[in-house]
Amino acid sequence: MAASAARAHLETVLRARKLDRTLTTSLPVSPHDAWSHAPTGLPLVDAQLDGGFPRGQLSEVVGPRSSGRTSLLLAALAAATMRDEVVALIDALDVFDAESAKTAGILLDRLLWVRGQRLADSSIIRPSLTREYGGFQQAIDRALKATGLVLEAGNFGVVALDLADMPEIVVRRIPFTTWMRLHRLIEGSQTVCVLLGTDSMARSSAGLTLALSNTSVWARPRSAPAGRPLGIGPGSPFGHSHPTTTGLFADLRIDLRVIRARGGKESSAPCRLTARA
Amino acid sequence: MFACLYAPPPPITADHDPPIEPGDALMSIARDFSPRIEAHGSRLVTLDVSGLDRLLGPPRVVGEELRRTAADRRLGVHVAVSASRTTAALIAQGRAGLTIVAPGNEAQALAPLPLTLLIEGSVVSAVPPALDAAALVTTLKRWGLRTLGDFAALPAGPLSARLGAAGAVWQRVARGEDAGPLVPSMPDERFEASLDLEWPIDGLEPLSFVLGRLLDPVCARLEQRDRGAAALHVRLRLVTRETHERSLQWPAPIRDPRALRTLALLDLESHPAPAGVDRIAVAIDPTPSRVLQFSLLARARPSPERLTTLIARLSALMGENRVGGVGLLDSHRPGAFDMTAFTASVERSPNTSATRRSTAGGTISRGDATRALVDPGVVTSIARPSETPDPPAVTETDSAGLRQALRRFRRPIPARVSVEQGRPVRVATDRRGLAGGRVEICVGPWRTSGDWWRLPGTQQPLHSARAEGAAGGAHGRIDQAGAVPETDGAAWASDTTGGFGVRGSAMAAVRPSSAPAVRAERAVGRPTDFAWNRDEWDVALSDGVAYRLSCDRDLDRWFIDGIID
Repeated sequence: MAASAARAHLETVLRARKLDRTLTTSLPVSPHDAWSHAPTGLPLVDAQLDGGFPRGQLSEVVGPRSSGRTSLLLAALAAATMRDEVVALIDALDVFDAESAKTAGILLDRLLWVRGQRLADSSIIRPSLTREYGGFQQAIDRALKATGLVLEAGNFGVVALDLADMPEIVVRRIPFTTWMRLHRLIEGSQTVCVLLGTDSMARSSAGLTLALSNTSVWARPRSAPAGRPLGIGPGSPFGHSHPTTTGLFADLRIDLRVIRARGGKESSAPCRLTARA
Repeated sequence: MFACLYAPPPPITADHDPPIEPGDALMSIARDFSPRIEAHGSRLVTLDVSGLDRLLGPPRVVGEELRRTAADRRLGVHVAVSASRTTAALIAQGRAGLTIVAPGNEAQALAPLPLTLLIEGSVVSAVPPALDAAALVTTLKRWGLRTLGDFAALPAGPLSARLGAAGAVWQRVARGEDAGPLVPSMPDERFEASLDLEWPIDGLEPLSFVLGRLLDPVCARLEQRDRGAAALHVRLRLVTRETHERSLQWPAPIRDPRALRTLALLDLESHPAPAGVDRIAVAIDPTPSRVLQFSLLARARPSPERLTTLIARLSALMGENRVGGVGLLDSHRPGAFDMTAFTASVERSPNTSATRRSTAGGTISRGDATRALVDPGVVTSIARPSETPDPPAVTETDSAGLRQALRRFRRPIPARVSVEQGRPVRVATDRRGLAGGRVEICVGPWRTSGDWWRLPGTQQPLHSARAEGAAGGAHGRIDQAGAVPETDGAAWASDTTGGFGVRGSAMAAVRPSSAPAVRAERAVGRPTDFAWNRDEWDVALSDGVAYRLSCDRDLDRWFIDGIID
C-alpha cells in the first residue's frame, strides 16, 4: 500500500512537471498527431519514431562522418518548412551548404541560419592543443548562446544545433546543466530542438536519440566493372565514355537505430535508409 | 463661443509676385489663445474661445486682443466672434475689421452678406458633396436670390424637393447653423528626448540607464498616439565635441521601451563611442502601429518585433552578416550563396514543389545538375542553376526520400593526393581529425570553371565578346548528344548566366590564368574568390568517410571541399 501510494504520488508529480510521457501508464501518443510530433517527412523514419521528433523535447542525431546525419537533419528541416513552420539552424563551424538544403527541399526563406566562425587555418594546420581547442571552445560557446537566444524567442518549429565536426573532447566539456537549460526553454512548447553530433550528447527524458552507424554501403553503379574504380575508363586520363556511370554515389545506405525511445520502445534492428544523390 | 481669423489676400501687384501665405503665422496666433483650433486652408482659422471670457473679458475684448496680436505680428486680419463657428467664418470673410455677433442673431448678421460667400468660404466641411457650392449659387441666382438672407428665407420643404438634402444643409449654413463640431488640428508631434549629463559617462552600463530614462516617456507618448517606432536615432555628443550618431531601422514598428533600449545597446556595443559622452539625444520616427490578427488555425511564428530583437542579438554575438536567411546565387560557382534578410515569410515560395522524382540512371544529378563528367576532348558546359529541378516528393514507393547532403568547408582544406592513372588513390591532410586514407571508390572528375572573365575584385568583365570579334557571341552549350557546337577559338561570350563551353583546342587561349592579375593572385596558392578552374571528385576513403575533392588545374593543387554526410 505504501509502495502504491508512493508510486501514485510520483506519477502525479511527473504529470505536473509534464514528464508523464515516460510513464508506462501514460496514454499512447497518436502517431499521426503533427501537433505533438514533428515528422521528418521520411516514412520509414517516422514509423520508427512513432510520428517524428517529439515537440517540446531535446533530441539528437548522432553518428560518425558520412553516416547520413546531415542528410537526415536537412530532411527534417525541409519537412518542417513545408508545414509552414519557421526553422533555425545554428551552424557552429559554418559548414552548411545551401545547395544541399535546396535539394533536400528546404524553403530557404523560412530558414534562419546562424553561422559560427570558421576556425583559422593556422590553428588547425599547426595544432596547438590550447589554441586549437580554444578556438573550438569559443565556437561552441557562441553556438550554445545562440541556441539559447533562438529558443527564448520561441515559435520556431525546429531548432537544430550542428556540432557534428566538434572534437569530442570539447563537446564533453559542456556542462549537463546546459542541456537542461535548453530543454527548459522548449518544455511545453511546439519547438523541436535537435542536436547533431558524433556521439550522444544529451537529450531530454522524452526526447529521442537517432544513432546512425557507419556501415553505409556505397553502391556502385551497375555499369562499373568489378575491380575497376568507378567512372574511369581504360586509357582515358579523365573520364569514361559510358553515360550511365554518372552522378555521385548512386545510393548512400544509412543504418539508423532509435535509442531509448518513449515508452521503453527500442528498435532492435537497424532501419536501413537510402539517400540518393 | 468661437472666433475666426481671416487674412484676406493682398491686392495683385504690378510685378505679379505670388502672395505670401500666412498659414503658419495665423496658426501661431490662434494657438496663443486656444489649443482647439481648426485650419481651413492657409488664410482662415477657427478657434474655440470658450472660457477666455474669464481670462480676458467679454467677446469684444477677446476680439480686440486677437486683432492687436495679429497687428503686432504685422498681419492684417478680419476677426469675427460668434456662438456659431459657421457664422464667425462667414462674417470674417464677408466683413472687414472686428465683428461681434450676439447669440441668437446669427441669421440676422448673415442676412445681408452675398451668396458668393458660400463658394469662397471653406468652413462647411460637413456638407455632402452631392451639391457643389458653385452650382448651388448659380441656381439661386437664377431664381433671383442675391443674399444669404434671401436663401435662408426660402421654405425648407420645397427647397429640399428641388435641391435635395444637400440644399437643406446649405440653407442651414446660410442661417449660421453649424453642420458639425470643430475638429482640432493637431500639430506634428516630435518624439524626441535629450539629456545633458553632469559628468561624462563611458561604457554601456551607465548608457543603458540613461537610454531607459529617455525612452520610457517617449514610448509612453507613442502608445498614447497609437504610433510605433520605425527608426531610432541615437545622437551622442562626446567630450571631444564630436558627435557619434547611430540610426536603427526595423521592418516592423516597435514601441516597447525595453526592446528599443536593447536594440540600441546592441548596436552601440558593435559600434562603440570613441570617447566619453556628455549629452544623449534620442529621436524616433513614428509610424502608425499595426493591427495584426493571427490565425487561430495556423502555427504560431515569431513576431516581427521579437524576430528583430533576436537577429540583433545574434548579430552582436556571431558578427555582422553571420545571421539571416540564405539565398542561392545565379552563379555556376559551387556553393555560391548570399545572406539575405530573414523575415520569417509565410508566403509559399513559387519555386518549391512537393514532388520528388527518383534519380534516373544516366542523369547527371547531385540535385542541381551543375556538374558534368568530362568527356575526352570535349569540355561540357554547365547547366544553368535556374535549370535546377525541383526536389522530388516523398512517395510511398520511395524507400526513404533522403537526399545526400554536403558539409562544405568555407575555405577548402589543402590535401596531398596521390594520383595514379589520372585518378586519386590516396588522400592525406594536416587537418586534425581528417587523417585521410586510401581511396576505395572515386567518381569523377567533373570539370568546372568560371568567372575568369572578371577583373579581380570587380564585376567588370576581363574582355567582352565584341572585343574578341565574336559574331553575335558564341555560347558554348551542351546539346543533347553531349557535344559542344563548333566555335571560333576567340569567339566566345562572357555570358554570366548561360552555359559556357569551348573546344579543347581553344582552351589554351582562354585559360583563366592568362590574366596577369589572376595569375598573381593564384600564384600564392589560394583559391580565388572570383575565378575557378578545377576538377571535382567524390571519393570514399578506407576510413568510411566520403569527401568531395577538387583539383585546381591552374595551381595543380588538391583541396577537400567538404564531407558528404
